[in-house]
Amino acid sequence: MADATKVATLSAEAITTEEQTPTQLVMRRFRKHRMAMFALVLIAIVFLISLFAKQLSPFEVDELMVGKYFAPWGDVDEATGRVHYMGTDNIGRDYLSRLVHAGRISLTIAVFSVLIGTIVGMAVGAYAGFYGGTIDSVISRFIEFLLTIPTLPLLLILSSMLIRNEDLIPIPAPILYGAGKLMLLAPYQARQGVLIILIFAGLGWLASAQLMRGSTLALREQTFIEASKSLGATDMQVIFKHMVPNSMAPIIVEASLALGGYIVFEAALSFLGFGIQDPIPTWGNMLAATQTFMLDKPWLPLVPGLPIFICALAFNYVGDGLRDALDPRLKK
Amino acid sequence: MTGYLLRRVLQMILVVFLSAMASYAILNLAPGGPLAGLRQQTQTARNRITEEDMARIRAYFELDLYLPIRFSRWLAGWPRGPIVVAGTEFFANTPIGCRKNIEGLYKDDKGNMQSKVIGCAEYVYLTSLVARRTSDGVIRGDFGNSWRLNRDRPVTDLLWSRLPKTLLLAGIATVLSLGLAIPLGIYSAVHQYSKFDYFFTSFAFAGTSMPTFFFGIMMILLFSIVFKNLGLPYLPPGSAAAVRDWTMPWFGIVAAGSTLDRALHLVLPVAVLTIISVAGWSRYIRSSMLEVLRQDYVRTARAKGLTEKVVINRHALRNALIPFATLAVFTLPALFAGAIITETIFSWPGMGRLYFLALGEYDYPVAMAILFIIAVLTVIATLIRDILYTILDPRIRYT
Repeated sequence: MADATKVATLSAEAITTEEQTPTQLVMRRFRKHRMAMFALVLIAIVFLISLFAKQLSPFEVDELMVGKYFAPWGDVDEATGRVHYMGTDNIGRDYLSRLVHAGRISLTIAVFSVLIGTIVGMAVGAYAGFYGGTIDSVISRFIEFLLTIPTLPLLLILSSMLIRNEDLIPIPAPILYGAGKLMLLAPYQARQGVLIILIFAGLGWLASAQLMRGSTLALREQTFIEASKSLGATDMQVIFKHMVPNSMAPIIVEASLALGGYIVFEAALSFLGFGIQDPIPTWGNMLAATQTFMLDKPWLPLVPGLPIFICALAFNYVGDGLRDALDPRLKK
Repeated sequence: MTGYLLRRVLQMILVVFLSAMASYAILNLAPGGPLAGLRQQTQTARNRITEEDMARIRAYFELDLYLPIRFSRWLAGWPRGPIVVAGTEFFANTPIGCRKNIEGLYKDDKGNMQSKVIGCAEYVYLTSLVARRTSDGVIRGDFGNSWRLNRDRPVTDLLWSRLPKTLLLAGIATVLSLGLAIPLGIYSAVHQYSKFDYFFTSFAFAGTSMPTFFFGIMMILLFSIVFKNLGLPYLPPGSAAAVRDWTMPWFGIVAAGSTLDRALHLVLPVAVLTIISVAGWSRYIRSSMLEVLRQDYVRTARAKGLTEKVVINRHALRNALIPFATLAVFTLPALFAGAIITETIFSWPGMGRLYFLALGEYDYPVAMAILFIIAVLTVIATLIRDILYTILDPRIRYT
């Protein structure tokens, strides 16, 4: 009988798998998506490059090298010994410096548009979904209509009006100063960037509001919400403790896809000439400028064009990976 | 259903009205517009533009009227003069606009002198509208006259001249995309995890992330410039037809304006539009097909012993296309608006490029007309989608 007691005292750790927090689970699932991981590394590199834009660019953005037009790659400036690693453009500005600064501007615009749009959208969506009623039906009709209208005509008209009449919307000087620091621009130049952010956020909140409203409506009927209400939780507590965390998954996916989308939209606006204007470098207006010289220098459009494509692709892959990781049921 | 439709149509009218008002306000609230260049001219040119000239030009563009009056005249062609009820004129002397502004100078925060409207020297009254040229109003199909692009000609003429081009380009692209996207999506879904599926999904993924403008430029680069430089047969990079005859290596002379010439000019823009929408649509069809293939009724159909072909085509495909059909309805406004970016890159003389030019040239009546028609088509597409739902899915009922 004494033998029996010896048999099995396996520790709990040996027979159960280690407990994982939801975050760890998501991270593990995300890491399995190889393309998404690769894309994430690419995005990190792009972010690092734009973070150190000032240190990486040998020249000032609008420094004109008189007489040096279309200098070849690796051309050396005799006076100061600085190198035009990617040559110069048609009026003698250093290409690499402009490219790197353009990245900084594009990313800043995309990130802030997504941040503002998502926060506003979540607030509106939560309010409409939680309280319902006439306000809800008016807001959701409004959102539905705006979401079905083709985006580009709308973006074009807004940005063409606002960029040409920069002073139409008063923007407080501290915001311009801050945005200028972020985009490495003088405050008066930053105005264009801020306007584009306002336009993108102004159209971007619609999608996240719709998502937030949908999940709030679904969650409202759940028993745990009822339970927390009956325990005396205020509306704010219910919204911030339960509604928001439980609705985050689709909103995060949407936001990561929107980041890529805004980079493309910003480039498209600048490309068409209704976005950020020339002395300020963006990938879009640099690409537009190469069109004129495409016949003689066919490789030229690739230089500003590829970063746009790579960023769009990378953010889409990350969004895809996040969708799989955050909600395996959505996996297609 | 009749009650529902009636309510929907009323809602649609309200939505179109509100969106027209919003876009009219956006376009007209901003200063500048067609008068932007005139100010600079008054200071430099020898023949100075007097205050009287300014007032006349403002009246010509109706910029001297207050916004609500201007909007109402644009929308309904009303008011055209004093309001007459039972032989009595009302509001004949109510100011509805300002013919000559009084401008005051002030210092802005940078210390520069700026001028600002501080009052009105001469008002416009309802009576003075009688002599003015007035459009019949948008609701009677008159979008007024173009300001710049086709000066003083009706906007409608401009639209009619561009519409066939856009319909040709977008129509061919849409038909091709549907013809390619549906079979590709289905094949890829039916052979999930096959080599084709992997290749295809990565292609579609890259295609949906590809910015149109970059793709278009790449196509021009490769098929027009590089091919031409290499002496290979190349494709024309822009516009709808050549101005003079051109030579295609290996094939000979292409006569300007001939059918062949026009067809060759179509190839690149159609290819760009098609490839991009095939990428998006086929991904959509693939995922909805995958979802349907997991359903019980598909298993039932297979268990009954039906051939795979019948299962896929009759049982799965029909249901998989329901969400897609409702999505495809929204090509209606997109068809009209044209592909702004593609048309601009390839200088295709269609609606999209017209809109782009109108915004660039401050030709607001043209831009407003296009926006208005897009809004109308969008609400119509929404209605069609909702009706399609009830036809395709009998479980949905509207009351």
